Amino acid sequence: MSTDSAAPSQQQPALPARLPFVAMLLWLIALTASAAPLLSGLSLPELLSAFWSYDGANYSTVLAHYSWAPRVAIAVLIGCGLGLAGAITQQILGNPLASPTTLGVAAGSQFGITLATLFAPGLLAFSPDIAAVGGGLLAIGLVIALTWRLGFSPVTVILAGLVVSFFLGAINMAFLLLKGEWLGNLYIWGAGSLVQNNWQPFLDLLPRVLTIAVLMLALMRPLQLLQLGQASASSLGGRVALVRALALFLVVLMSATVVSRVGMVAFVGLAAPVMARLLGARTLGQRLLWSTVMGGGFLLLADTLAHWATAWGGSSLVPTGTATALIGGPIILMALQSIRNTHHMPGQDTNPGSFLPKRRSLNTVAIALGGLLLVTTFISMAWSPGLEGWNWTPPWQWADAWVWRGPRLLAAILAGMALGMAGTLIQRMTGNPMGSPELLGISGGAALMMVIVVISGLEIGRFGQLAVATLGAAIALGLLILLARRHQFAGNQLLLGGLALSVFMDAGLRLVMASGGTVASRLLNWMYGSTWLVSETEALGLMALVLGFGVLLVLTLRPLMLLPLGSASASSLGLAVPRARLLLLLLASVLTAAATVVIGPMSFVGLIAPHLARVLGQQTVGRQLVVAALAGGFLLALADYLSRVVMYPNQLPAGLLAALVGGIYFLWGLSRHGRA
Amino acid sequence: MPAFFEVDELAVRIGENTILHSLDLTFEEGEVTALLGHNGSGKSTLLKTLARQIPASQGKVKLQGDAVDSLGARAFARVVGYLPQHPPATDGLTVRELVALGRYPWRGPLGRYTSEDQQLIDQALTDTDLVPFQHRSVDTLSGGERQRAWIAMLLAQQTQCLLLDEPISALDVKHQVETLRLVHRLAQQRELTVVVVLHDVDLAARFCDRLVALKSGAVVADGSPANIMDSKVLESIYSVPMGVMERAPGQWVSYVH
Repeated sequence: MSTDSAAPSQQQPALPARLPFVAMLLWLIALTASAAPLLSGLSLPELLSAFWSYDGANYSTVLAHYSWAPRVAIAVLIGCGLGLAGAITQQILGNPLASPTTLGVAAGSQFGITLATLFAPGLLAFSPDIAAVGGGLLAIGLVIALTWRLGFSPVTVILAGLVVSFFLGAINMAFLLLKGEWLGNLYIWGAGSLVQNNWQPFLDLLPRVLTIAVLMLALMRPLQLLQLGQASASSLGGRVALVRALALFLVVLMSATVVSRVGMVAFVGLAAPVMARLLGARTLGQRLLWSTVMGGGFLLLADTLAHWATAWGGSSLVPTGTATALIGGPIILMALQSIRNTHHMPGQDTNPGSFLPKRRSLNTVAIALGGLLLVTTFISMAWSPGLEGWNWTPPWQWADAWVWRGPRLLAAILAGMALGMAGTLIQRMTGNPMGSPELLGISGGAALMMVIVVISGLEIGRFGQLAVATLGAAIALGLLILLARRHQFAGNQLLLGGLALSVFMDAGLRLVMASGGTVASRLLNWMYGSTWLVSETEALGLMALVLGFGVLLVLTLRPLMLLPLGSASASSLGLAVPRARLLLLLLASVLTAAATVVIGPMSFVGLIAPHLARVLGQQTVGRQLVVAALAGGFLLALADYLSRVVMYPNQLPAGLLAALVGGIYFLWGLSRHGRA
Repeated sequence: MPAFFEVDELAVRIGENTILHSLDLTFEEGEVTALLGHNGSGKSTLLKTLARQIPASQGKVKLQGDAVDSLGARAFARVVGYLPQHPPATDGLTVRELVALGRYPWRGPLGRYTSEDQQLIDQALTDTDLVPFQHRSVDTLSGGERQRAWIAMLLAQQTQCLLLDEPISALDVKHQVETLRLVHRLAQQRELTVVVVLHDVDLAARFCDRLVALKSGAVVADGSPANIMDSKVLESIYSVPMGVMERAPGQWVSYVH
C-alpha cells in the first residue's frame, strides 16, 4: 500500500499497464520460440498459412501444417481452457491457490483412465472422455461428500482434495507396480504430452472447450457474489451451494476433457490465474480474461520448452506437464509471498483437524499400543507364508530368520516412530493439526535430493544418502518457514505453501520417472517405501539415530508448548523464539529425512500418528510425542508385515500400503468431524 | 394487514444445544427494533433465522403473512437485507464494486445495470459518507470504514427490511451515532423495518422504537425504551445491579453499580 493513501484518489483504479505488456511479451516469446526452428526453412507468411493449408511439393509446409500448427493450436486452446477453469475454481473456493489439480480432478481423471485401460479398453477406444470425466467426478464427489456438512469451507475442500489425490495416486501406483507391463505408456501420458500429427484432436476439442467456456461465463455474476462470503451472498439472493456445484461441475468437465486428451498439464490452471492476479487483474472479469490469455501463452511456452528439451536430451521424452510444473512451481511460491490479507480467509473459522479434547491416562494408552507393537513384532518374526503354506518359526530359531525379517521390521518400526515424532513436532510448531511432513512437502524435498543423487550416478553410501536427504528436507522446511513467516505461521498459509512445494517436488519426480529405465523402476519402489532394501547395519544406524533424537526431543518439550501461543507471547515468556524454531526445524527435518530414506516420501504416517495420539486422549506435548511414536511404529510394523505376506511370494511396498490404509482413516476422520 | 415478521413458537437447536426456546414475537412494518441481551443469549441466532440463514428446528417464521421459505432466493433478497456480524475479506473489490453487488437481487446473473442502479449506488455511498473512498480497495480501509461499506451495500439493495448484526461494533462514537441516525432516518423516510443487534443499551434506547431483550433463548423484556430503561428491568436482563438516569426526555444513561 502506498503511503499517500490518506488522500484517497478519485480515480477508478485502472488496469496496470504491466498486465497486457507481460501477456504480450509471454505470447511473443512463446510464439517466436515455437516457430524459430521452422523459420529457417519457411518464410513468415508461409508459416502462417500453415494453419489452414500446405503445399504438397514443399515438405516443410506439410510438416508445419500437420505437426507444428496443430500443436501450437492445441496448446493455446488447452492453456486458455485450463486458465479459465483455474480462475473459476479460485473464485468458487475463495482461495488464491485452488485449482483443478488441488481438488483431485486431475488425479481422478488419471485414475479413471487407468481403470479403463486395464478393465475396459473398449470404452477408451469409444471415447476417452467418459472414463476421465467419470474419474474426475468420482474424485470431486469424494471431496464434496467429505466436506458437504462443512459448507464447502475452502481449506477443508483443499485438504480433502489433496488427500483424495494422494489416495487415488497411491492406487494408481499400486496398479502400475502390479501390472506395469500394461501401463508403461500411461505413465508418460500421465505427465502430459502435446505431440500432434494431425488436426483431428484439435477439432474434437475446440467445440467442447468453447461450449464449457461459454457456460462458465454465464455464471460470472453469481460467482462474483461468492466473494462476499456465504451469509451475505445468500442474503443477496445467490444460491450459494447451487452456484458452487454447477461451477465445480463445469470445472471438472473442462479439466477431465483436457486430461483425457493430453494427460496432466493441469498446473497451468494454478499458475495462470495466480500470474494474472499478481500482475494486477483485480475484478473477477479481469481475472477471468487475463488468466485465460496467460494460460494460453504459458502452456505454449512450456510446450515449446519441453519440445526443445526433448530434442536436446536425445532419446528421453520430456513431457509438457513436467515443464509446466517446473515453471509453475516457482510462480506459486512467488505468489504466496505477495498475497496479502489472507489471514481473514473465508472459512478460516472451521478447523477440520480438531477433535473434542478428551483426556486419557498416558499409561493405559502407551501400554496398550506398546503391547500391540510387541504382538505385531512377534507375529511378524514368527508366522509367515512359505513355499508349503504358512509356517511357524519358534523364537529359538529367530536368529536364523533375523537376516530376512529383522532389519526391515526394525527399520519400519523406527521410521514410523520418527515420522510420528516429526509429525507431532511440526503440528505443534505450526499450531496446525493438519501439518505433517508429507503434506508440507518436506518428505518431497528429501526425496527430490535423493533422486537427483541417484540420477547423477554418485555412489555416496547410505549415510551420504541420509545427509543428502536431510539437506533436502531442511531446504524444503526452511523455504516453507521463510514463506510462512510473513503470515505468522498461520495454519492456512503454511498448508497452502506446503502444497505448492509438494506439487513442485512431485513435478521433479515425474520428470525422472518419465525418463524410464531401470533407475526409474528402482526409484519407484523406493518412493513407495520398499522396506526389503534395508540392510542390518542401516537398521541399527537408524535405531541409534532415532533413539538419540528421541532423547533430544525431551529437552524441547517446554518450547514446543510455548510456540503455538504465537511469537509475541512466547518471547515475552522468555523463549528465544528464532533459536527455538531453528532447533526444532532441524530436529524435525533430520527425523523426516531418516524416515524418508527407509520408507519413501509417500506414507501418511506423519499425519496420522499425531492425530491418532490426540484421538486416544493425549493432549499435552510430551504424551502426544510418546503415543504418536508408538502409534507410528505400530502402523508401519503392521504395514511391513502385510506387505510381505499379502501378495506372497510378491512384495508390495510397505509405504504404499500405509498410504492406502492411512488415506482411508483420514477420509473417515474428516467425514466424522463433519458430522460432529 | 399482517405484521412484517411473525415468529411463532420458534425453536432453534444446533447439535445438542437449544439456542432458542419457543419464541413468540412480531415485528411491525416501519418499526426499528433493537435486540439486546448478554453474550450467547440467542440474539444473532434469532436474526439469522429471520434472514433464512439457519432453518427453524420447530415453529414458524412468517414474512408479511407467508412462510419465509415460500419466496425464491432473489425475491427474498429484494425484501430482506442481512448484514452478518463478521463480513469476510473481499479480496481486492473496491468500495463501489462492493456496493454495486447490492443490486444483484434486482438484476440477476445476466441483467444490465441501468442508470437507476448507478444512482442508487451513488445515493448509498453518499448516505454512508463513503464517496471519497469509493475507488479504494475495501481491504485497505479501517475497520469502521469497512463496516460502513457493507452497510452501503445493504442500502443499495433497496429492501423493505434491514437485519443488522452488531453493525456499529467497530465504529468510533461519531460514526456509531451517525450510522444509527441514518438507519433511523431511512426507517422513517422509507417505512423500513429494522431489526438490529446492539450491545449499547443507551444508544439502543436513543434510536430505536422498541427494545427486545433475550436471555438464554427466551424473551425477558419487550417494550418501548421508556419501559425498558428501568433499573429493575435492566438488572433482570444483564444480571448485574444497574441504575438508570433520564437526562432529558428520550435520553437515558445507564450505569453499573
